[in-house]
Amino acid sequence: MTSYVLRRLTTALVMLWVVGTIVFSVLLIVPGDPAELLLTTGGADASTDAVENLRKKMGLDRPVAEQYVSFLADTARFDFGDSLIDGTPISETIALRLPRTLELIAVSMVVALALAIPAGTYAGLNAGKRFDRAASAVNALFTSIPGFVSGTLFIYLFAQVLRILPAGGYVAFAQDPWMHVQMLILPTVTVALHLMTIIFRMTRASVLEMRAHDWVRTGIAKGLRRRQVVRRHILRNALGPVITVVGLQLGILLGSTVLVEFVYNWPGLSGFLVSSVQQRDYPSVRAVILTVAAIFIAINFLVEVAYSLLDPRIRLT
Amino acid sequence: MTALLEVSDLSKAYPVGRRGLFRRRTMQALAGVSLSIAPGEVLGLVGESGSGKSTIGKAVLRLIEPETGSIRFDGRDLRALSTEELRAARKDMQIIFQDPYASLDPRKTVRAALAEALDTHGLHTGQRRTPRLNELVQMVGLSPQALDRRPHEFSGGQRQRIGIARALAVEPRFIVADEAVSALDVSIQAQILNLLADLRARTGISILFISHDLSVVRFISDRVMVLYLGRVMELGPADRIHFAPRHPYTAALVSAEPSLAPRQARIRLTGEIPSPMNPPSGCVFRTRCPYALPECAQAVPALRPAGEGQLTACIRDDILS
Amino acid sequence: MSLSLPKPMRLPSLILLALVMTLVFGPMIMSADPISISVKDRMALPSWSHWLGQDEFGRDRLARVLYGGRVSLTVAFLASVIACVVGTLFGLIGAYFRGPFEFVTMRLSDVVLCFPPILLALLVVTLFGPGVTTLVAVLSVLYFPAFARIAFSEALRVAALDFVEAARALGAAPRRIVLRTVLPNILGPISVQFSLTAAASITIESGLSFLGLGVVPPAPSWGQMIRGARAFMNQDPTGILVPCAALTLTIWSINFFCDRLRDTLDPKHGESAGKDEIAKARADAAAAAAGPAQILDADVVAQVKDLRLALPRPEGPLALIDGVTLTLRQNECTALVGESGSGKSLTSLALMGLLPSAIRPAGGRILIHRKTGGTVDLATLGERETEDLRGNDVAMIFQEPMTSLNPIHRIGAQMIEAIRAHKAISAEEARARAVELLDLVGIPEAGRRIDSYPHELSGGMRQRVMIAMALSGEPKLMIADEPTTALDVTIQAEIVELLQRLRQEYAAGMSLLFISHNLGIVAEIADQIAVMYAGEVVEQGPAAEVLATPHHPYTRALLDSMPSAHEDLHSSRGDRLAAIAGTPARPEARPSGCAFRDRCPQARPCCAESRPELYPTGTRAARCFFAPGADQPQEREAGA
Ligand SMILES: Nc1ncnc2c1ncn2[C@@H]1O[C@H](COP(=O)(O)OP(=O)(O)OP(=O)(O)O)[C@@H](O)[C@H]1O
Ligand code: SF4
Ligand code: SF4
Ligand SMILES: [Mg+2]
Repeated sequence: MTSYVLRRLTTALVMLWVVGTIVFSVLLIVPGDPAELLLTTGGADASTDAVENLRKKMGLDRPVAEQYVSFLADTARFDFGDSLIDGTPISETIALRLPRTLELIAVSMVVALALAIPAGTYAGLNAGKRFDRAASAVNALFTSIPGFVSGTLFIYLFAQVLRILPAGGYVAFAQDPWMHVQMLILPTVTVALHLMTIIFRMTRASVLEMRAHDWVRTGIAKGLRRRQVVRRHILRNALGPVITVVGLQLGILLGSTVLVEFVYNWPGLSGFLVSSVQQRDYPSVRAVILTVAAIFIAINFLVEVAYSLLDPRIRLT
Repeated sequence: MTALLEVSDLSKAYPVGRRGLFRRRTMQALAGVSLSIAPGEVLGLVGESGSGKSTIGKAVLRLIEPETGSIRFDGRDLRALSTEELRAARKDMQIIFQDPYASLDPRKTVRAALAEALDTHGLHTGQRRTPRLNELVQMVGLSPQALDRRPHEFSGGQRQRIGIARALAVEPRFIVADEAVSALDVSIQAQILNLLADLRARTGISILFISHDLSVVRFISDRVMVLYLGRVMELGPADRIHFAPRHPYTAALVSAEPSLAPRQARIRLTGEIPSPMNPPSGCVFRTRCPYALPECAQAVPALRPAGEGQLTACIRDDILS
Repeated sequence: MSLSLPKPMRLPSLILLALVMTLVFGPMIMSADPISISVKDRMALPSWSHWLGQDEFGRDRLARVLYGGRVSLTVAFLASVIACVVGTLFGLIGAYFRGPFEFVTMRLSDVVLCFPPILLALLVVTLFGPGVTTLVAVLSVLYFPAFARIAFSEALRVAALDFVEAARALGAAPRRIVLRTVLPNILGPISVQFSLTAAASITIESGLSFLGLGVVPPAPSWGQMIRGARAFMNQDPTGILVPCAALTLTIWSINFFCDRLRDTLDPKHGESAGKDEIAKARADAAAAAAGPAQILDADVVAQVKDLRLALPRPEGPLALIDGVTLTLRQNECTALVGESGSGKSLTSLALMGLLPSAIRPAGGRILIHRKTGGTVDLATLGERETEDLRGNDVAMIFQEPMTSLNPIHRIGAQMIEAIRAHKAISAEEARARAVELLDLVGIPEAGRRIDSYPHELSGGMRQRVMIAMALSGEPKLMIADEPTTALDVTIQAEIVELLQRLRQEYAAGMSLLFISHNLGIVAEIADQIAVMYAGEVVEQGPAAEVLATPHHPYTRALLDSMPSAHEDLHSSRGDRLAAIAGTPARPEARPSGCAFRDRCPQARPCCAESRPELYPTGTRAARCFFAPGADQPQEREAGA
């Protein structure tokens, strides 16, 4: 077990390093001068002065090896440098905004898990029956609605037509808890809906697969109660694949909440990211991406460890 | 009579599990196996699962690469051939598989599968193609209508016949039949056994017949080789191996064989088959052998003549006579 | 074209085709221009010249939706094609050459998968600026790893199949094998991934355009339309509804197509429910009305009376079990023999109330003498009572010891739960009992082994665990469905011996229903024998007599075709086995009259006319017009 965890941990650290290196080297492999590239907008050439200035700011004038080493060292200290736009330290901005994004994701995940796992299990156990057909059809529809579409429609419906919820924005919890919660509702529902479609689908498929295994028949033949068979011999086994998907989705969510946050003006990482991209503030974009990728890798690591606790066979591989 | 296939000292180890950074564990699937097959001979290969039967079958065809050993087919050293030469040489050696469901490409009609075999070696092209295909399916007891159907339209036994037709298409001189009748029902198994026996009688083809079923092997083979943990335990004429085994393992296998006739006292084996990752020293069978002596652990017993035309890898002469 | 499509694929293909046609050809026949601005018509309502009205700049909305869709589809299609071709190539190369290629392929995809897709897209957009080309490039990079992975693992799976090995053995060139044999067989999963990718690409493209970082204005795109109309959704809801609906409909139709495609290619994936039996047991009212259950003989443990099972099909039910009657007595081993598909397993599963949910009882009764005294008809029992009966009165061992135990629980836990299902005892007591049982079935160091996981035990050991588990409820009837088929000969002999010993010493009086296709094993273990063919019992009687002097031509033929029954024959001496021609009758192609007629060497014209019954003589019976008990002596004479 310990050796399995250590092996996974090593893999995770290596991945982290590879991701950092890739993000670093993207600037080197783009054709032409990166500084010039970043300053070119719509065909207008940048002045030589500005380019020179940017090169200095981003340290592009130093030898590559030196850049690489100091990039790794800085990143390890969570020092991402200063924003090219307003000169504020990027790590401060991230420290301020990341928790808001994580809050949104965490609340949505809890909601989605609480609803989708029971629904998926029930549908899987009664595949082909009425509930399953209905749930699967609804699921297929919601799968096809991108988050920013449902977000926009929810704003129209709940904020504009019904006027029961705010259309967006953010108030710190400490400042006004009730308002904070109200403003959290629509973004949460939007993100959770998307998550639910995925978790539902996966749970259903996993239950459907597990219930056809021979050991389920053994459980029934032993005279276990139906409930016991479902819990111990179907759900427990189905959980592994489900948490893997949940972990993967958490990572992907870190990215796709960008859109939802944008729709609802939720000042998480997204606003920062989108404005940085629009203004081509490469160091900021790079910092956000590194942060998210690091969280993603950490989640994957935790998922693998959790899976190995659920299924002893995993530890062998 | 010179041998068609002459294999000596074949060894093969598979890497197992994860490849650790420092140690790389291996599983010894075959250790120093030698055998020869004469033209028109059927050599039976028996052993329990994991004894290395299929590994031998695939290694002699060079479908997997053995670590050591030489394989001479018709006087030519197969291991010295270049890739191109080997591909040409494959015309003479074919294989029939166990699982009639996995051994045919679900997307190809019987005609396409057989034609592919002929095309590979440029045989019976043009005008002569159709008569040859008809002849092939008839040879294995199917009608020419079968040519335009796909595998899923056939039963297990029929698929097995198609697999045999594909192997025969290139007119090989040697066939490996790897558990070719094991997945079949008794009645179908008998049909396929008869078919193979007829083919051998008619064309003089040599067969390496692999099976875990002793009585099937006894019926079809001229000589039988018994494997245990990748090593040869006993080799000899089929009837002798079956009725007068000289190796304790063979004797145990024969006595465990379910049979309609009232059974003689069964030779009980103790314990389980040891892991091929660390086989016992000396005689690999000693951990389960009812006759084991301390000496059995010392050296790997060499094959020595025993009984009538048998070779046994047991040091004891005072048992089973 | 659509006629050759499998039925479930027709509707989704039609919808997708219509959608693509509209988006591709719609703009060609449109007169309106998607980018010409007309400020005075801002947010005009639908009219004859502008079917969907005009947007916040007075541009024709229909034109914008159609042109925008065209852009989305083009981006998605191009990106998917590039990702598909590049990824599949990577995967195939990785799978074919393994070693470093495999490493690079797999790690590359691991790394790309570490970046949430939208973020990776944003990173690239930062560098190159927004635009259609950037989008296509980003999306292809994003999605090629998924193709590489699928191609890789599928190619490995296919390459391990015997037919690929056969192609190698034929001497086919590697390139030819990959292109002609491997590739066609992995196209299914790849095409599923293709549609998934197309849908995902559209989502990401529209998302980026929505952020203003995708398709550059004035070129129209759905994401952009939503972005533009958002500010005015109060005055002009059509502005957001139209592109939202278009986007959702497009993604939905691709997803729909993809789902159906997946189900068609891999039936396991879809509603293959019905292969298992988790469905609730329900008391059958009709059976309850049939009157009280009765077993007359005191030593009869269970009785199957005229059992009929059928598979419902649109064209009418298909009889799988056709009137099977079995009487299982105390202290007796009854063997059920027959070839694959003859209905052995179904009959035994019916005895446990464990029928696959797809299969319906079509008649007959199953009576079981309970340990508590009294007889029950299985069909009249409710869920609770059936659960009480299973494992307690009737226990079962299955063929595949490898899959019959749950891999994620220790064997101790699985045994304890079986013991506690029927006895109110503490976990400690149950554990002690489990150790005792494991010891009894010959597991060395039972006290330690009880904490093993199934994968740590060999097949023979697992089968012993299954037997111990079956014994735990002290059942009066134990059913063993091919318990030794998956095991090696020496292990097989040990398990048969174990069952014999347990029956004689431990569970005295227990009745054993032993299912096997191996007559040799049956000869060793069985007291009674019932031979099945095509869902019917064709011969039954005391095992020794039936095997020595079979009355039914099928039993005789089975014995004749066994090499182990003919140790005097040898192929090299020109001997051949007396094989039965043809193949066992499948339920959907059962001959009229006697089911064995088309393979029977003794068949007469009368055999086609009516079905023979099971004609009894003494303790035996055979289902043949010419069996000793049948009343057609003159015909039999003629046939002899
Ligand atoms: N779940 C199912 N759905 C549809 N048909 C089934 C199902 N299970 C069994 N059958 C069919 O019922 C018939 C009898 O099957 P059964 O499994 O009882 O045979 P068997 O004698 O046990 O064969 P084997 O020796 O292969 O185990 C076969 O034709 C089989 O195809
Ligand atoms: S050498 Fe010894 S252990 Fe090996 S088979 Fe002979 S007696 Fe048994
Ligand atoms: S009834 Fe006729 S066909 Fe059937 S087994 Fe008897 S002789 Fe053969
Ligand atoms: Mg069966």
